[in-house]
Amino acid sequence: MTTGSSVMTQHGTGEESAGSGSGTQDSIESVFDEAQYGPIAFRDLARIDEGLTMASRETGLWFTLYLGDLGSDTRGTAESLHARSGPDPSHSVLVALSPGQRVLEIVTGTAAARRLPDRACALAVLSMTGRLSSGDLVGAIVNGLRQLSDSAGHPSRRH
Amino acid sequence: MPWTEVVLIYGVIPLAVFLLLALLTVLPGRGRDKTHYRPGRPWDHEPVWYEPHPDASGVHAGGPSLGNGDHGRPGLGATAAALTIGEQPHGAADTGGPRRTAAGGARGTW
Repeated sequence: MTTGSSVMTQHGTGEESAGSGSGTQDSIESVFDEAQYGPIAFRDLARIDEGLTMASRETGLWFTLYLGDLGSDTRGTAESLHARSGPDPSHSVLVALSPGQRVLEIVTGTAAARRLPDRACALAVLSMTGRLSSGDLVGAIVNGLRQLSDSAGHPSRRH
Repeated sequence: MPWTEVVLIYGVIPLAVFLLLALLTVLPGRGRDKTHYRPGRPWDHEPVWYEPHPDASGVHAGGPSLGNGDHGRPGLGATAAALTIGEQPHGAADTGGPRRTAAGGARGTW
């Protein structure tokens, strides 16, 4: 691991950030609207969560999303992150996004690479970078995940 | 027709209609784009790692072992699933060293 960066654990509820702005009488709706937890708004976070969950559910692969700095060796950092992703890294797909460096890395494990060849990943990267260059971070993530899960298809029922 | 009436009919009324339409156009979209990202701007947020819901059925490597700790916390969505770098998220077997698991993928810049 070359980067000395530490990941923020997002175990809070997001209400701290919302409560300060909108007074004491927060309804659920206002929390949902105004909460900004970390770099991504709550509403967008829900979309990303749905994208990750649906992609994982449909394909049987373990999709994770890393959003942050990837150091100087972006590929190496992404691969070392992938080695720790999920219970079984061979079935996991890591989408690592470094908006500051403008780099996007998709890393697939050995089992995942059979379902998701490099060509499919490159296609997803292409459509994601198109959106990212116009500043649509969440749209790129959601649509990239959808494209990846479409490419991987459903898991075979033979095993 | 007095000139005030002319101004009222031909000036003020069209202006009011214009402003009304402008407000209807601009107001609903305000505050939507909370996730600010512009290409080229520095990204000074803390790194975050999101995982899918552990109860995503059909996930190959998932399973009941994921129900421990914070990962089973309901109702938080992706916020509950972020991990600390270096944390062994699922009690995976310690390999003792860097193990290369990546088999493929793609890379892109923008």
